[in-house]
Amino acid sequence: MSKSVWLLLLALVLALGTLSLVGCGGEEEPAEEPAVEEPAEELPADVQAILDAGKLRVGVKSDVPNFGLQDAATGEFSGMEIDLAYALAERIGLTMEDVEFEPVTAKTRGPLLDNGQLDVVIATFTINDERKLQWNFSEPYYQDEVGLLVKKDAGFEGLADLDGKTIGVAQGATTRDAVQAEADAAGITVSFLEFATYPEINAALESGRVDAFSVDKSILSGYVTDDSMILPDGFSPQDYGAASKLGTDGFTEFFNEMLAEMEANGEMDALLEKWNLL
Amino acid sequence: MSELFSNIAFLQQGPFSIPRWEAVFQNIDTLWQGMLVTLLVASLGLALALALGTVLGVMSASHWRVPRAFTRGYVEFFQNTPLLIQVFMLYNALPILYPGLFIPVIAIGILGVGMYHGAYISEVVRAGIQSIGRGQLEAALSQGFTYVGAMRYIIIPQAMRIVLPPLTNQAVSLIKNTSVIAIIAGGDLMYAGDSFAGRFGHYGPTYILVGLGYFLLCFPLAIFARRLEERTRVA
Repeated sequence: MSKSVWLLLLALVLALGTLSLVGCGGEEEPAEEPAVEEPAEELPADVQAILDAGKLRVGVKSDVPNFGLQDAATGEFSGMEIDLAYALAERIGLTMEDVEFEPVTAKTRGPLLDNGQLDVVIATFTINDERKLQWNFSEPYYQDEVGLLVKKDAGFEGLADLDGKTIGVAQGATTRDAVQAEADAAGITVSFLEFATYPEINAALESGRVDAFSVDKSILSGYVTDDSMILPDGFSPQDYGAASKLGTDGFTEFFNEMLAEMEANGEMDALLEKWNLL
Repeated sequence: MSELFSNIAFLQQGPFSIPRWEAVFQNIDTLWQGMLVTLLVASLGLALALALGTVLGVMSASHWRVPRAFTRGYVEFFQNTPLLIQVFMLYNALPILYPGLFIPVIAIGILGVGMYHGAYISEVVRAGIQSIGRGQLEAALSQGFTYVGAMRYIIIPQAMRIVLPPLTNQAVSLIKNTSVIAIIAGGDLMYAGDSFAGRFGHYGPTYILVGLGYFLLCFPLAIFARRLEERTRVA
């Protein structure tokens, strides 16, 4: 009896081990190639690979107005980050039709980059030191701050009124640490509930399970209703960057060059103005 | 030790690399807390499901029409709607319909899996009872047993042997289904894993350990049930 139990356990461990070996071995290869120094006209190796594949696979938000929003009726994506993806495709030598958008959440975007399903994530992805160890990040293309959405009838006027209250945040987001730091500075205690998606946090705010919904202000603006409002407090500025698999330095440099060019020729300002983000 | 692993690529870099395992083990308390919540919800949920399932199962096998109709309605409702929606409704819709009525998340978990699997278990119990020949019940009644007495001393002991394997399946499913409370910030093992993987990005080791945690809860139960089954067969 117990012998067969151990055999079963052993088989399970072996199966798991082989699975992860196979899984990683297959995906590791593109990352191993060092980004070769190429003459200015030629594309870096990892960008050339995208051009050769004939498609640019971009992870974007599907529920953040002005950044990445998917139209429920048509399935079309629109927003500032969508336009950035189109600009990137054009610069690589692809057309708008070659861009494949994949909706991501704060929780799924990292794994999707690691396992090679996406070339780049442009999805209100905040740059921080810990994340830089895990993925490549471009220079910031937008700066936002963390805000708090509350119900009007709750009577909160600022973060200080949230002493002892519960705040809903997204799993895998930097919001929790940012709010905690700000609460510590203000000398108040708050507790957190984490949810996988923004609509779930919003539902918890509606039902009174949480007292405030906290995330970057640009994202919050999409959830304001007649009954709710964003508190004037804003803290810990968040830099958004485009993320790609760790080691794709050629791609990151390529993206940074595009950003610099767009900032110099005024395209970036036009883009921000188009999406009311100035 | 490190030399032993130095030529295994996936331990050197990527989502399963050794530093990530170390980071997770340094914060293993987070997962441990979640495991305790899961254990609590699973054990109380299982107790509720077994109690409900037995009562409803006996009711649905009876020849009285009203209890049979009631259990039919109950079973059809819980079998044919997703547990996830039931739990989400208890969490978010109830406080809107009845302002101020906040059932604690742990209680929602216990109620959710208990009532859901109670429906399935009642079907298992009903099938078990009906598999015992009618003659057994008739003989018991003719000997002066009451209906409940006949069930208690004659029918259910015989049915136990038949229902044990499907009952084990239900218990194991119940344990795994407690993970739905992760979606309502339940603080269970799945939530702890999601939260930890999301905050620090070490999702590889985290989810393997979370999976192992559920395995460690379910596997002994399956073994225990098999032992019990062997014993009842001998008897």
